[in-house]
Amino acid sequence: MALIEAIGVTKVYPGGLVANDAVNLSVEKGEVHAVVGENGAGKSTLMKILFGIEQMNGGTLLLDGKSVAFANPREAIDAGVGMVFQHFSLVPSFAVYENVVMGSEPHRGIRFERDKAISEVRALSEKFRLQVDPLQPTRNLPVGQQQRVEILKALYRNARILILDEPTAVLAPQEVQELFVAIRSLVEQGRTVIFIAHKLPEVLEISDTITVMRQGKTVGQVKTKQITEKELATMMVGREVTLRVDRKATDQSVCVASVEGLRVRNARGTDVVDGLDLKVHAGEIVGLVGVEGNGQAEVLEAIAGLRSTKSGTIKIADEDIGPLTVLERRWRGLASIPEDRLSEGLAPGGSVAENLVATKLADKRYVRRGLLDLNAIKANAQALIQRFSIRVNGPNAPVGTLSGGNMQKVVVARELSEQPRLLLVSQPTRGVDLGSTQFIWRTITDARDQGAAVLMSSADLSELLALSDRLLVIYRGRIVAAFLNRPDLSPETLGTYMLGLSTQPAEDMKMALR
Amino acid sequence: MTDAPTIVASTRWQTIRRETGRALGAALIALAVTCIIVFFTSKAPLEALTTLATAPASRIRTIGLWIDDAAKLTITGLAFSLVFHARQFSMGVQGQVYIGALAATYVVLSPLGVTWAAIPLGMLAAMLAGGLWGFLPGYAKARLGANEIVSSLMLNYIAIELCNFLVRVSLPKPLVGVLTTNDFPDTAVYPALVANTRIDLGLIWALVAVLIVWFALYRTSWGLKLRLVGHNARFAEYSGIRPTTIMVSAMTVSGMLGGLLGSMFVQGQTYGKLTVLFEGNLAFEGILVAIVARARPLAVPFVALAYAYLRQGAQLMNIRTDVPAEVIGIVTALIILLVSSTYSLPGRKVLARLFRREPKPATASATGEV
Amino acid sequence: MMELFWTIFSAAFVVTVIRTTTPLLLATLGGLIADLSGALNVALEGQMLIGCLTAVIVSVYMPWYVAVLAGVLVGGLLGLLMAFFALRMKADIILVGFAINILAAGGTVFALALATGGDKGTSINLVSKAIPGVDLSFLGGIPGIGPVLVSFLSGHSVLSWIAAFLVFAIWYFLYRTPWGLWLRGVGEYPAAPEAAGIPLDKVRTWSLIVSGALAGMGGAQLAMFNYVGFTRDMTAGRGFIALGAVLLGARHPIGALLAALLFGAFEALAVVMPGLFAWVPAELIRMIPFVVTILALVLFSIRAQRALALRGAR
Repeated sequence: MALIEAIGVTKVYPGGLVANDAVNLSVEKGEVHAVVGENGAGKSTLMKILFGIEQMNGGTLLLDGKSVAFANPREAIDAGVGMVFQHFSLVPSFAVYENVVMGSEPHRGIRFERDKAISEVRALSEKFRLQVDPLQPTRNLPVGQQQRVEILKALYRNARILILDEPTAVLAPQEVQELFVAIRSLVEQGRTVIFIAHKLPEVLEISDTITVMRQGKTVGQVKTKQITEKELATMMVGREVTLRVDRKATDQSVCVASVEGLRVRNARGTDVVDGLDLKVHAGEIVGLVGVEGNGQAEVLEAIAGLRSTKSGTIKIADEDIGPLTVLERRWRGLASIPEDRLSEGLAPGGSVAENLVATKLADKRYVRRGLLDLNAIKANAQALIQRFSIRVNGPNAPVGTLSGGNMQKVVVARELSEQPRLLLVSQPTRGVDLGSTQFIWRTITDARDQGAAVLMSSADLSELLALSDRLLVIYRGRIVAAFLNRPDLSPETLGTYMLGLSTQPAEDMKMALR
Repeated sequence: MTDAPTIVASTRWQTIRRETGRALGAALIALAVTCIIVFFTSKAPLEALTTLATAPASRIRTIGLWIDDAAKLTITGLAFSLVFHARQFSMGVQGQVYIGALAATYVVLSPLGVTWAAIPLGMLAAMLAGGLWGFLPGYAKARLGANEIVSSLMLNYIAIELCNFLVRVSLPKPLVGVLTTNDFPDTAVYPALVANTRIDLGLIWALVAVLIVWFALYRTSWGLKLRLVGHNARFAEYSGIRPTTIMVSAMTVSGMLGGLLGSMFVQGQTYGKLTVLFEGNLAFEGILVAIVARARPLAVPFVALAYAYLRQGAQLMNIRTDVPAEVIGIVTALIILLVSSTYSLPGRKVLARLFRREPKPATASATGEV
Repeated sequence: MMELFWTIFSAAFVVTVIRTTTPLLLATLGGLIADLSGALNVALEGQMLIGCLTAVIVSVYMPWYVAVLAGVLVGGLLGLLMAFFALRMKADIILVGFAINILAAGGTVFALALATGGDKGTSINLVSKAIPGVDLSFLGGIPGIGPVLVSFLSGHSVLSWIAAFLVFAIWYFLYRTPWGLWLRGVGEYPAAPEAAGIPLDKVRTWSLIVSGALAGMGGAQLAMFNYVGFTRDMTAGRGFIALGAVLLGARHPIGALLAALLFGAFEALAVVMPGLFAWVPAELIRMIPFVVTILALVLFSIRAQRALALRGAR
């Protein structure tokens, strides 16, 4: 009998997004069970339901054969389910043992029994091969060890089932091996581990069973020993009908942007962009393909000037823009549609007109000698509202009241109101309705047709296949494959490289790398 | 699309109606509480309340007090509104008032004081000093991340003690031991606009300040940048605006307003000299004005007018009846508490349902935005 | 110069310092608890002032210890009020704090006038009580150091001893009990205790209540020992100096004690100096705690920036 089972679990978010569609999951006691799938496949949602953060709309959850429903994480924890998230919740200045026991401290009367806590944590740490010094302040620990603290937290509360959300995403290769040692030890001692993952080689190494999800549904469940990498990739990525947007033939000979040897270090100290080269030419759309978290966002931020780089050169039209500020890069014709419109792309409390002109405050058409030309700003807003079909009450409406799709249109309208030289796009249609999606695609393509160089990053493969002239696959901060977009280029092929299963030989890449 | 103008107009009216409604609601609650207190503590509660309600408008002299008070509250309300727009909580207006008054006093008591330049130079000195007092916490925040609330509060007390010291020790005094300076020469004192009242040039400055602040916030690129930084500092950065520079300049300009208020106090008909502790905590009541006015410069004078009426009413009630003026502190505190929270009182929902309208949820930020 | 030296090291001065420090220390401890839970309590000044008045008025009708208790309770209630508006009604805690200060400034004078039958300046018409000093003259019997001990230790207010005990008690609470751990976690990184199922708002509410109660106790000391009776605005910025002391003390109870002592010493100096040196103005001495706070703020911020830069480069 399975230890924990999900039968026909459905979860629909308000707003209509069907995150889980009659999903099935069956996990045996003492196994390492991986749940794989692309972004948006519904894995995180399923885990959140198992841990009580979200509630399902339909279906059954069985634990030990009994039907359960967790209204909050506390209930899940009491039932023996523990979860370790990608973003840790650890108090930086606390010692490891303090973080582990907080909330369930051993205490006699009002006295916190520190020694007992320390020895208990130490014992746990040794028992499960999760080496970490209980006395170290958490902020001094490398990421891998911080993760162990998170796991220890769950184990301290007697978790029988441990859910790990993309545990290897933040780890260096040796740390990954250490984690696997710990996982094997957990399983030896009777615990069950479920983990969400992207990186197929690791999944194949550590798991016993794999459940594949795609677009909110369960595609299938297989025993790891009985499947190959290629078959797994196919199951994950699927055989979708890809739409293609008509593109005009353009002159793509002029190189507008070139990146050489780019290295970007993130707050944790890892090189999230690891020696990356690419070129974008006028009149083409270059699609940056990759699973989220492989450095695409950082590449775009670095080019836009929002992130400092460790080394490498970025040039626009042969000019090194490294020392230039964001504003100066914009004057050189750079436009950028950011990943998160609400926190980076808009001022939600401001009006549509104000948002549309925010990046142009040095432009004499709207600002002369420090004074705003309100008429010009309003006219500009009305023209853009018209041109981009933004559904809004008027240029003075606060942007925060618009729907997601219309908000994105405001961002797109602002960035594309003038023909840019280099357009950086990140997740252009995330959370956007179908109609607006088509419109935004058309707009980006028009910009390209008129000679803009477009570098686009998206988690949506079909979007990249529809729009790009060339596709570069990024994995662990480097370009591992490059293709010219052809009708017969399939998602599966791209998937193999996206998931790190193979690297294209340099010869094949050259054509598409130009 | 051709409907756009009318739709825009109606949303603006809706906003004004909604905000006035909220302010009135809070004021009514606060006043109701005050009435209850007065009823329980005064021997002649009705007389007290009537005085409160009518006295300020009864005579020219009391109207003068009222208008003059409103002018001063307008300035401090504007000062707070500016920093609220940038989402900074610099509380240093009080210190800026004192340091501005000090600077003006030095100009006025110098040989320049008997010339025609006394008023403009005094004001200029005051604004520069106030600007400096606003700049310091801003710079510390921008460069070092130092908490601007604590630094501005400390500067308040430093300014007050400095003023106390200089008045006692070094500035020219009429008598030994008295804690006030010599009267300023007539050339240095604002002329009264309405004879025998306190209404003086300060009123003009207040109105001019309203227009200037409104213009700066809504018609200049600096103002737009300030508001954008207040809405979303990360987005502002992304658009090429430097949030730190804007924040510092906002606090400096706000400081200049505070300094101007200092000049209005000591160079105005109210005093005509520098006295220890002349400001009486008026600067902090600017918080109420700014919050109720949702930091909108054009609304500030109206709120200031209404609040000044209450203040004067309380003073007159104090003089003529047995209720101390300080009861207004309770009113002020209650209004600030109510207006600054996302209050949707149970009564409001009921009322709204009665009128078949959806209750609009109030928002918590000082500028009343989502 | 020698006169100054002797004055500072005299028992009388030390006794004065302890007296001036006590209300400051209590308010600082209150500020510390609030700050560690993640809330900046700018209302310490108002809570203290209301504590002063409450203690004075209650002491007219009740024994001194009931009056002290009343001051503490009122302070705690004000803390609860802050928690209600800041946490439940989502008002900004700084604005709520200033509202309470405004309430205190006006409300205390109003209540004073009511209680004294019209006097808005002082409570001189009221027969308010004082907190008794703790008489340790029996220590004089100890051979050798006895009399010295007596001159330094005897006669302090009960609350001074309580305040000293509280420093230890708060330290113990913060660093030796589970709930102290919770409080520090809530203040530093709320996502962590939240994930552990700890009720964030409950912790914050309790910390605000205790913060206000301590400020109220400081007020009771101020109006029943340092001075006997209430004068309008008698707190004179002590609540804000306390915020400075929290900062200067590196947000630790022992640091709070040392910072409060330092600022208390300056207050005592401001009283003593004009007598000795007429040319050192009391105002400038009173200014010193504020200046020192700003310097401490700047220094700590520089240090924090450097630490952040170092961590980023790892």
